[in-house]
Amino acid sequence: MKYYLKLGFVLLIITSVASGILAYINTKTQPIIDENQRMEQEKARREVLPLAVTFKEVSGELTYFIGHDKDEKVIGYTFIASLFGYSSEVKTMVGVNTGFDIENIKIISQAETPGLGANCEKLDFQKQFSGKQRSDMIVDKDGGTIISLTGATITSRTITNSIKTALHKIKLETEAEGAVK
Amino acid sequence: MTVIKEFTKGFIKENPVFVMALGLCPTLAVTTSVINAIGMGLAATFVLVFSNTIISMIKNFIPEKIRIPAFIVVIASFVTIVDMVMHAYLPAIHKSLGLFIPLIVVNCIILGRAEAFASKNNVFRSILDGFGMGLGFTLALIIIGGIREILGTGQFLGFQIFPETFQPMLVAILAPGAFIVMGLLMGLMNLNKKR
Repeated sequence: MKYYLKLGFVLLIITSVASGILAYINTKTQPIIDENQRMEQEKARREVLPLAVTFKEVSGELTYFIGHDKDEKVIGYTFIASLFGYSSEVKTMVGVNTGFDIENIKIISQAETPGLGANCEKLDFQKQFSGKQRSDMIVDKDGGTIISLTGATITSRTITNSIKTALHKIKLETEAEGAVK
Repeated sequence: MTVIKEFTKGFIKENPVFVMALGLCPTLAVTTSVINAIGMGLAATFVLVFSNTIISMIKNFIPEKIRIPAFIVVIASFVTIVDMVMHAYLPAIHKSLGLFIPLIVVNCIILGRAEAFASKNNVFRSILDGFGMGLGFTLALIIIGGIREILGTGQFLGFQIFPETFQPMLVAILAPGAFIVMGLLMGLMNLNKKR
């Protein structure tokens, strides 16, 4: 009996020391991690809606940001479209103007196949979304105009579809917001 | 065995990947580029050195019956530390290694060295062993990663080394390429040993 108590006690000591150290490091690193993430998203927002000077966060079913120019006029919205692709969650920052035409998009996180789906981070692919509307969000394989990546139709379709769905949600949300006002 | 040998045995003679065939899951999964290989290798080396140190320090204090859970707690703690520190200070590498960092916990090299070496040797030798094995692992990852990156994308460390007209062999960067490259390298090592 005494022996088994000792076993438990030794494990208790080891695990409490370990969790103490981990808790300490977590309090040191967590703020930096959050800050990094915030800065990265802020940077991405400025890239997809370059004309905006300030952003205002609106949380709802899908959190989006209203971009204002220097005269406080609303010039567009940014939001994150996300959907599971071939091997990972693909998150895309999208910027649209007030008419819901896409200004720019930027893939902010993905872990698709290197050399195939991971090419979605290349500018050539992302640029073709600029100036497109929700009805244009169809890849060439399905008869649309978005030229999909070689060997990565699934990734291309994921990005296109996620933008399409998110655009629809944003449109509804901003309309509801406007009606309240 | 001399002290120097304790350190260098991990490079070739007892290379964890090519000779002992340990830790193959991360080896196959992250070697799509050299930078990933370096990141994974160094992260594993860090965990290996510190877990070896701690385990060799507390080996007399841990009763035989619960040594495995105790080892796992020590290893898991260091992996979590690496994960958090990398996430905070090296977000780019953390992003591409992502899922594989927590998997270092179950990387059999680390538990293997804890069980086979650190729990039987003194602290100094365990540190050398951890360094040697970790660097041997890193070396193996860099070799495989280098071959796959050059063949699969025509780049090395992100720099184009072949002219643009070079048609990359996509298979090298996909999962089958990892098996093929590792198989050939293991074969070469065995051929070398037979002579």
